[in-house]
Order: sequence, then C-alpha cells, then structure tokens
Amino acid sequence: MSEPELIEKAKEGNRQALAQLVKNYEQTIYNFAFKVCRNKDRAEHTMQETFLSMVKSISQFSGKSKLSTWLYTIVSNHCLMQARSNKNKFFDSLDDDELYIDESEIAEWKVTPDQVAENNELKEILDNAIQKLPQDYKIVFLLRDVEGLSTEETANVVDVSVPAVKSRLHRARAFLRSELNKVLKNGKE
Amino acid sequence: MEKNKITCKEVMNHICDNLGEDLDSPKCVAIKEHLENCESCQKYFHSVESTIQFYKIYNAELPEESHNKLMDYLGLSDE
Repeated sequence: MSEPELIEKAKEGNRQALAQLVKNYEQTIYNFAFKVCRNKDRAEHTMQETFLSMVKSISQFSGKSKLSTWLYTIVSNHCLMQARSNKNKFFDSLDDDELYIDESEIAEWKVTPDQVAENNELKEILDNAIQKLPQDYKIVFLLRDVEGLSTEETANVVDVSVPAVKSRLHRARAFLRSELNKVLKNGKE
Repeated sequence: MEKNKITCKEVMNHICDNLGEDLDSPKCVAIKEHLENCESCQKYFHSVESTIQFYKIYNAELPEESHNKLMDYLGLSDE
C-alpha cells in the first residue's frame, strides 16, 4: 500500500495502517531524536511522544508537506520545548560567528568520517561538540545537513525565515568545525 | 595565505554559508578559483565537509525493546 493510501486509511481509524506508518518511520525518528538529544532514553521518550501526537492528530494532516517533514516538526517542537524548560548550560545563541573562523587554526584532520562507527572516543568528541550548540542551531544543522531537507523545508519545520535558517546553519557549521578542530587537528585517533 | 581580491576569511565564510548550494554566481566562480589555489582554504573546506559527514554517519539503531515499548505505548502492539 502506498503512503497516501496508508494515511487515508489511518485517518479513517484503521489501526493496521497507523501501525504500518509508525513502523515505516520509527527508525528515522528515533535516529533524529537521538541526534538532537544525544541520549538513548530521551530519544526513546521523544519518539514515543512524537508518534502519540501523530496518532492523535493524523486526521489533521493536510498532506501539503511530506509526512516525514510533519514528523520532524513534531520532534523539533518537542525538543525545543524541552530545551526551554532545561536552559542550555553553555549559551543561548551564537552571536559572533567571526570567533569560530580562525585562519591560523587550519590543519588537516587525521580521522576520517568512516571511522566513526567503531571509535567510541570519536563519538564522545562528536557528542560533546554538538551538545554545546543551542538547540535551535542544532536542529537546523541536523535537518539541513544531516537529514538532507532543503533550506525551505527546514525553515517550515522550525518556523523561521529562510535567511534565519541560513544564518543559523552558517554559525552551526563554523562552530562545530571549530570545536572538532580543537581535538582532531592534533591527529587524535 | 594569498592576497587575492578575495581573502581566505571570505572564502571560509562562503564555505559555511553555501556548502551544498548551487555555486554559479560570479562571486562563487571567483571563490572556486581561490579554493583551487589555496591550500589553507582547501583544508578548511574539507574539514567543514568532514564535520557534516561525521554527524551523518554517526547513527543510532532503534533497539528492538524500544520498538516494542513504542507499540505498547501507542496501543498498537497487536497490529
């Protein structure tokens, strides 16, 4: 059954169709939630709340956006709300991106992305760096660069303008690159 | 670093702004030319690309137990 057919059946209250939609997206949503939270328990909780929202309000899904985009929106809102109640311990915004581009700190990294899977130390470095990003910058970076949404789709998900997405993306990329550079420029493996 | 019309800092800013976008404007062409001839900017470009790749490749597999808990939570275990 195609996705639009599944959605129609789910709107009519067909539980099998609802279950199939959940199964189709649970891995994507769990992975995205994990990338935002960097914590398996919180990712599980966020995934549960996201699909509960989907089950409750699938009848309101207009079909104007993709279902995946709609689900990303629910995850993002959930994570942003959590962040507001649990103030970021580092900072709320990246005001001066000039700080993160330092021409004197350019070096070749010895570690390559294909080493991530089996390197727990590297995973910790990646977790620590991205945890320092304010939640709204983190979500924009993950949606646009990691999940591959377009700039416009990302703007719709986080409900900000396209220039605001571009600005956050710029700062997030520069900040993360600068954080990783502090460790990886020395050839950490 | 080279003292062209375009500075390394501008190129690095441009990389962070436009990676993954279509690069055809006259400014983008000048930036590409600078990139081809500047080792520092090439290293910067590769490190930004790697940053994105690191986070793309670092994925979390949904545990079977979390799947089961989810279906229970939603009351869809029987489906």
